[in-house]
Amino acid sequence: MNPDFQAFVQTLVQGLLTGGIYALVGIGLSLIFGVMRVINFAHGDFLALGMFLTLFLFKTVHLDPYFSLLIALPLGFALGYFIQRFVLSRLGDRLSESSMLATLGLGLIVSNMLLLGFGAQPQTINVPYANNTFTLGGIQVSIALLVAGLGTLVAIVGLNLLLYRTELGRAIRATAQNPLGAELQGVNTRTIQATVFGLGVAFAAIAGVLLLPLLYAYPTVGETFTLKAFVVTVLGGLGNLPGAIVGGLFLGGVESLGSFYISNNYRDAYGLIAFLLVLLLRPEGLFGKTVKRV
Amino acid sequence: MTAIAVKRPRALSFGNLWISAGIIAVLLLYPVFFGKAMNFGVSTVLFAGFAMAWNILGGWAGQTSLGHAALLGVGAYTMTLLAIPERGPAWLHSVGIGSGAAIAPWWGILAGMVLAVLLSLVWGSLTFRLQGSYFTLSSIAVALILRLVAINEDFTGGSQGLFMPDLPTFFGLDLFDRRVEYGLAVGFVVITLIVTHIIRRSRTGYALQAVREDEDGARALGIDPARMKLIAFAISAALTALGGGLYAIYLQAFEPHTLLELPLSVQIALMAIIGGRTSLQGPVIGAVVLAVFGEVFRNLFSSANLLIYGVLILVVTLFAPGGIMGLFSRRGRRLGTAR
Amino acid sequence: MTALNAVTAPLLEARNVRVQFGGNVAVHDISLSARAGEIVGLIGPNGAGKTTLFNALSGFVRPAGGTVLYDGRDITRLTPQARARLGMARTFQVERPFEDLSVLENVMVASFLRHRGHKAEDLAYSVLERVGLSDRATQPAAELNLARRRRLELAKALALEPRLLFLDEVIAGLNPPAQAEMIVLIQQLADSGLAIIMVEHIMQVIMTLSNHVVCMAFGELLAEGDPKFVANHPDVIRAYLGEDDD
Repeated sequence: MNPDFQAFVQTLVQGLLTGGIYALVGIGLSLIFGVMRVINFAHGDFLALGMFLTLFLFKTVHLDPYFSLLIALPLGFALGYFIQRFVLSRLGDRLSESSMLATLGLGLIVSNMLLLGFGAQPQTINVPYANNTFTLGGIQVSIALLVAGLGTLVAIVGLNLLLYRTELGRAIRATAQNPLGAELQGVNTRTIQATVFGLGVAFAAIAGVLLLPLLYAYPTVGETFTLKAFVVTVLGGLGNLPGAIVGGLFLGGVESLGSFYISNNYRDAYGLIAFLLVLLLRPEGLFGKTVKRV
Repeated sequence: MTAIAVKRPRALSFGNLWISAGIIAVLLLYPVFFGKAMNFGVSTVLFAGFAMAWNILGGWAGQTSLGHAALLGVGAYTMTLLAIPERGPAWLHSVGIGSGAAIAPWWGILAGMVLAVLLSLVWGSLTFRLQGSYFTLSSIAVALILRLVAINEDFTGGSQGLFMPDLPTFFGLDLFDRRVEYGLAVGFVVITLIVTHIIRRSRTGYALQAVREDEDGARALGIDPARMKLIAFAISAALTALGGGLYAIYLQAFEPHTLLELPLSVQIALMAIIGGRTSLQGPVIGAVVLAVFGEVFRNLFSSANLLIYGVLILVVTLFAPGGIMGLFSRRGRRLGTAR
Repeated sequence: MTALNAVTAPLLEARNVRVQFGGNVAVHDISLSARAGEIVGLIGPNGAGKTTLFNALSGFVRPAGGTVLYDGRDITRLTPQARARLGMARTFQVERPFEDLSVLENVMVASFLRHRGHKAEDLAYSVLERVGLSDRATQPAAELNLARRRRLELAKALALEPRLLFLDEVIAGLNPPAQAEMIVLIQQLADSGLAIIMVEHIMQVIMTLSNHVVCMAFGELLAEGDPKFVANHPDVIRAYLGEDDD
């Protein structure tokens, strides 16, 4: 293979796998926005919570990080459910700005609690496979990254089955489209909203677990991922789930290629610039219908 | 005309000047009693000014920015770069401007204010088309892009940041003396209060509130919402850059990781909102309350000082949408009906 | 008066205004004109496109075709705020006070268009007296009842010192005494030289007030002319009876 081309493919593959994780983070945010029209500013902090949970379980009971998924998933769901049901729902029909500020507050509480509990030092876990790679057709792939990508795939397929094959999913979609109409059909929208927030948080927590073998955990790591999630969902169109997947892959690819070909220093800027351009030129997202959202 | 003389209500007023006078008096008395805690004093008073400046856009125009650290940074960086001869002045000299000598901080601050206004006009005219939360998201993105520039470019000192070895005296006063800095910070708050009171009485203030409440309703009354928001942003930017310059003097050395990061923007916004964005002096109150809280719990929470911000903003959104000042009046001490 | 009106040029003239939302034509080539001192009534069943036409005339919706002339000048592409500055004022069907402001302050937002400082405040107050809201001046607008909110809408429009006034259902929903007061007020405004275009549901109100009536249905012109002619027009009667069926 032509070495230039091989470098390109290598960079792209790396980017797309990272993008898979971005997609997982973004989907949770987009799901919450799609149903409740709330931009969850605490999203990345829930991811950080997932990371630290994994870290904690590994250090105390030597639980393999991937097994902590089984704990992070229900715990994340319960936390999200609780927050929506007993905190955010109290905001009632006040402006979405209040919810935005409330989630910003929740995020600050989560990240600062982590800081109090674990200190500011970046920490990670040592698992034998964390740095393993395998080579496929001249392209190096990190195993942990591949597992993360596969995890994303499973989570997305699972969410799709839930949304389109179950009664609960039907109720969620109905609530997203028309809360009042759903209510009239006997859907308990409060429960549904809490369920959706729970799902969103669970997704963030899963992403955190999958990321831990790859990244250092520190209390404010969530800030970065909240921003990535914003970028992903805006690229894909807020509330558009397939869009979030493509948005995640797109962001991963753009970052990876941009830092390889332009400058690594501006890695975080490429996504932000794409984000601003999309906000300004196509607020409905890259793939949405061309109806202007007011 | 009726024959009965009824006392005609007045609406046009500067708002309650006594509260502002009281605030200034308290600020001026602080060094008398707490002369030992001047670091705390200077930074608290500067943040009170930042919160007031933020509120011209965030409260009066109703546009929640989470990117004000960038404007603060423009003020701080411009002033500092011009004060270090090897940086700004040397570059200006190489393109044929000036003698290459250090530029006095007051001119540097003025230049920073001008740059901040220009930035806000470009920034605002691009992003004010976005509604509500979308504007907030875009403000984060713009500020973070500027932060990356500051970290990665040489002319801003890169991730090392900048250090000001010395500054000329200001009317014979040493600018690195905390008492002098305290006086300047109080002056900054006084300016933001004066500007706010003038807005309160002006056509602009009425138009801004109308835009905040209902853009179409405002348009029907001949008000151009985009223009009003730009005016608010420009005033807010100029004042924030002014404070940014003073903050740079206070810090003497700063790096982009602390000066331009998101938490600083969040802090400024939350001070104003917790204090009461629809009240005239709410942001000052919010800044002081939060700073005192932070100081009291310093030992308990050490670096987790934003915890109190998170708790209070949650309490405010849930139970007191008018912020702290809102608690003191029937429907919240509104900008409009505040006396 | 009528003889004079016949020769003066119209203040507002809409020619073949068409409004489209996607593929739906909401207003289909409607023409109308209004002279100073004249009241033009716009009627039609629900969904006839009256409010959409208002939005097109006041600049909130951009027409897909046709022209709007004001004082002989083409204003088809002007923004609502530019039209307000030229002397066109409107009320909203769903009244929208600035709820955080007091009643007086609401009106001052408008009176500041042409006046500064205390002059703006004086004008706002005198407009409030005119619409009978001066005793509520310091009350927060959010606390007003429906009838007073309607008056406030009108007060805000009047404080712009307009030459042309669009009234979107300011009477429907009021109780009979309030209706009567509003009718007198509108007549006074017209007598003082304002051109008024009003949408109203209550036939009788339109018939008493209007000099000229335009009836729309499904975005199209059904009939126009003097009130009696329109009221007895078979298409108009059919349109209104048809509405009664559902």
